[in-house]
Amino acid sequence: MMANQKKLASRTTDVFGASLSRRGFVKAGGALLVGFSLVKADAMPKAEAAVSGNTLNAGLPQSWIEIHADNTILIRVGKPDFGQSTVFTAYRQIVAEELNVPFEAITNVVSGDTDRTPDGSGAFDFLQGGMPNIRKAAAYVHQALLDLASERLGVPKDQLSVKDGVVSGNGKTVSYGELVRNQKLNLTIPVKGDVHSMFGLTIDGDPPLKPVSQYTIVGKSFPNSVTASKVAAKETWVTDVRLPGMLHARVVHPKTLGSKLVSVGPLDKARFPNTQVIVKGNLVGVVAPTEWEAIKAAQQIASGTKWTDWKGLPGDQRLFQFLKEDADWKTTPAETSKKSNGDVPAALAKSSRKLSATYQLPYLKHAPIGPAMAVADVRPDGTVYVYTHTQNPQALRSGIAHMLTTSVDRVVVRTFAGPGHYGRSNGGNSGAEDEAVILSQAVGKPVRVQWMRPDDFQWSTQSSTAFSDVEIGLDAQGNLTGFQIDHYMPAMQDDRLVGAILAGLPTIPAPNEKGAVMGVRNNVSDPWIYDGAPAVLERAHGTFQVGQSSSPINVGLRDHSMRTPVQYQQNFPRELAITEAAVLAGADPLHFRIQHAREKRLIGVLESVREAAVWQPRSQPPVTKNGVRQGQGVSALFRNGTYWACVANIAVNMTSGAIKVEKMTVAVDPGIVINPLQLKRQIEGGTVMGVSISLREEVRFDESGVTVTDWRSYPIATMADLPEIKVVLINRPEVGKYGQGSEAANALATSAIAGAFLDATGKVARRIPLKPDYVQALLRA
Amino acid sequence: MATILVNGVKREVQAPSDTPLLYVLRNDLELTGPQFGCGLAQCGACSVLLNGKEVRSCITPLAAVGDKEVTTLEGLPARWAKQRALTAEQAAKTLHPVQEAWIAEQTPQCGFCQNGMMIKTTELLERVSSPTLAEIKEAFTTSGPSPHLCRCGTYTAILQAVQRAATRMTKGSEIL
Repeated sequence: MMANQKKLASRTTDVFGASLSRRGFVKAGGALLVGFSLVKADAMPKAEAAVSGNTLNAGLPQSWIEIHADNTILIRVGKPDFGQSTVFTAYRQIVAEELNVPFEAITNVVSGDTDRTPDGSGAFDFLQGGMPNIRKAAAYVHQALLDLASERLGVPKDQLSVKDGVVSGNGKTVSYGELVRNQKLNLTIPVKGDVHSMFGLTIDGDPPLKPVSQYTIVGKSFPNSVTASKVAAKETWVTDVRLPGMLHARVVHPKTLGSKLVSVGPLDKARFPNTQVIVKGNLVGVVAPTEWEAIKAAQQIASGTKWTDWKGLPGDQRLFQFLKEDADWKTTPAETSKKSNGDVPAALAKSSRKLSATYQLPYLKHAPIGPAMAVADVRPDGTVYVYTHTQNPQALRSGIAHMLTTSVDRVVVRTFAGPGHYGRSNGGNSGAEDEAVILSQAVGKPVRVQWMRPDDFQWSTQSSTAFSDVEIGLDAQGNLTGFQIDHYMPAMQDDRLVGAILAGLPTIPAPNEKGAVMGVRNNVSDPWIYDGAPAVLERAHGTFQVGQSSSPINVGLRDHSMRTPVQYQQNFPRELAITEAAVLAGADPLHFRIQHAREKRLIGVLESVREAAVWQPRSQPPVTKNGVRQGQGVSALFRNGTYWACVANIAVNMTSGAIKVEKMTVAVDPGIVINPLQLKRQIEGGTVMGVSISLREEVRFDESGVTVTDWRSYPIATMADLPEIKVVLINRPEVGKYGQGSEAANALATSAIAGAFLDATGKVARRIPLKPDYVQALLRA
Repeated sequence: MATILVNGVKREVQAPSDTPLLYVLRNDLELTGPQFGCGLAQCGACSVLLNGKEVRSCITPLAAVGDKEVTTLEGLPARWAKQRALTAEQAAKTLHPVQEAWIAEQTPQCGFCQNGMMIKTTELLERVSSPTLAEIKEAFTTSGPSPHLCRCGTYTAILQAVQRAATRMTKGSEIL
């Protein structure tokens, strides 16, 4: 055995394009580690950045997967979990499945720290179009282990089988642990991309994957291992991070979204003897040894600080008039969807019935339950450690390095559990990180910046407002002849660091006409699904953020993607218009959809939701009982490989205008269902957010800034608003991929609820939220 | 300097008497179950029990605690052990049934609000052993200074966990 091992030492072999190297023996332990090398970089500077930031030495702890001599396995993931549980359930299931080991063999999951994990990118891209990095990494490892076992056992690879981490062939067996014991094995797998970019690194090549028909672990409801530690108060949250010598800080933000600092208010040194006030440009930081002193001192400073005035926003009352008449939709070209086809104007001209309407959506807040906070430690040698909760740590690292004009090598981002961001930090920052860095650098100590509740509402980004113009034509039989929709939306991905902007430090540019992902250009986000319509024209028009360039400090209303971004903004008008078309055709809205659908999976979810919701085609006009009318509405969506259908049952109080969502039924076909319980919980959560934005949420703003400051002025759904929620999961292993975006129910809920309102009242609510005042006005009209 | 009773232990605190209890717990006593959500008693993330009643620690000054007993999320297992007169050995391996139910139902998503949800549930179930759906909804919406808010939308999972905890807590002396 030893002689055989010596012979194998210091060799490198090919594993489906990856390379497996063996470097002699180690006295204790031994492991197989999985690192990466860039196969082809688009541009050299990017490649260098990726190399310098994450060494290519797979022996260092960026490895994706480690197989240990004691048969335990560790996985590392650059994307932090935000409550989806994907990192701690789905990823472990996927790896266990590919490797043929029990779920429990994966004893350690390291995620989200830039110096300890590979791959980058963010929680928004967990399943990466059905082929997550971790699945491919595991597939490469599986092949490498089979190669090792084949050599060890002297059995051809194709005669080996693996069960529970033990390889068998020709009557002989060897465990994974035995294969790596006393050895130093490095598997270097090919990757492409830039680790610090929005989308991070992607594993290249095509290692053989385990056939889905042989799955035994994917598809089961494993619990999230982090849940127990959170529930038992054992988790270290980002809010718990305390460093030696750390100071507490609050930031006094400008009076408006365009104000410059005139003078800083005086500090009462008698009351706050240990407080320091740090001013850099328009950034005013208040730093103290205790949190309570920082809060009180910041309040005192704020009351005496003078700012210039600014009135450069249209205000929420004039928002849609501003967007329609004043915004610049010409600088960036409109994008026409890939599924647009046929001659829509001609089809509309020939139609016997037509519909023309405009739909409007307000700005929304991501509204995490905990306001933004971070701890930063800028050390005397210039290295920077940031302790935070972000969806995209590598992108934040890059942003902080850019702000300080330093190398990414000198910046480390460590992540911890924290409040959900719903997309706010998917491009790097959640709000407070840069301010913590600036203040730490100024005082020479670690600094913890905690935004207060009003900071979080008024100085964070918002989900973009949008409007859409729709034209629909029907033939005499009530079939769709043409459907034209033009979506208008300001840029929605402003990943600039707001503290850096205020301090006058470098940031990436604001979204502009030159940018691609971060630009002004709008796109049609999910494909048209009613292939039975003979002519379709769908276009997306983009413009600049409202008030940004006119703001003397270049801030204005900064926008950011939020849960089901763009799809939410586009699904509401598209799906409500389809319901209106059905009503115009005298057809049942659910049947009308099935009639115009061609894709089997779409028809499948629509039929499932019809059955689960006990949908009844309306045979009589609605009647008012006890002042209330009930209605049902339906919507559908295809997003990231997943088909969705949703039915809402609502009750409308015809006097007060209050709406109660009584029941939501959601049918989902994601292809392969990885974890039914966790998926169901995500869908329930997305549905509640959908009810919340349908009925309650709207960012109010005046000419100077955001005027919502707390949960009274920005109410979200409470348990009193909770409908009965029924979830139907459709598992289709034959699809072979994992659909992603489990939270997307929010995008369906709005259009289904508005459809139910039309069903109940005969009135169309072409904007949300459906607050009582608006509902009363519609009912009177 | 003040002395307060927290999770059954007397603790000396140096913080000024106007300091909100939340900062005392988190920064001075390293009890980090309660979270800062709003500082305005509008969300419930910071809830603790004060003599068994759910209060918002973000607006409760240290001076208002007096000789009342504070129970945080960390103190729930010991509270249950004391109520059921468990032995030290039993107590060491026991979570509060509310916590057990939260794990069984996989209730949290981000989990940031769940401290308040579990504290509120403990208060409710100590008062009403088998609450109706209406009583549960009332507890989380109109019973306190504000509704308990969850942005991840876990209300369904919370309801199911409350019902599971209620069943477990009413099962006589059974220890789980």
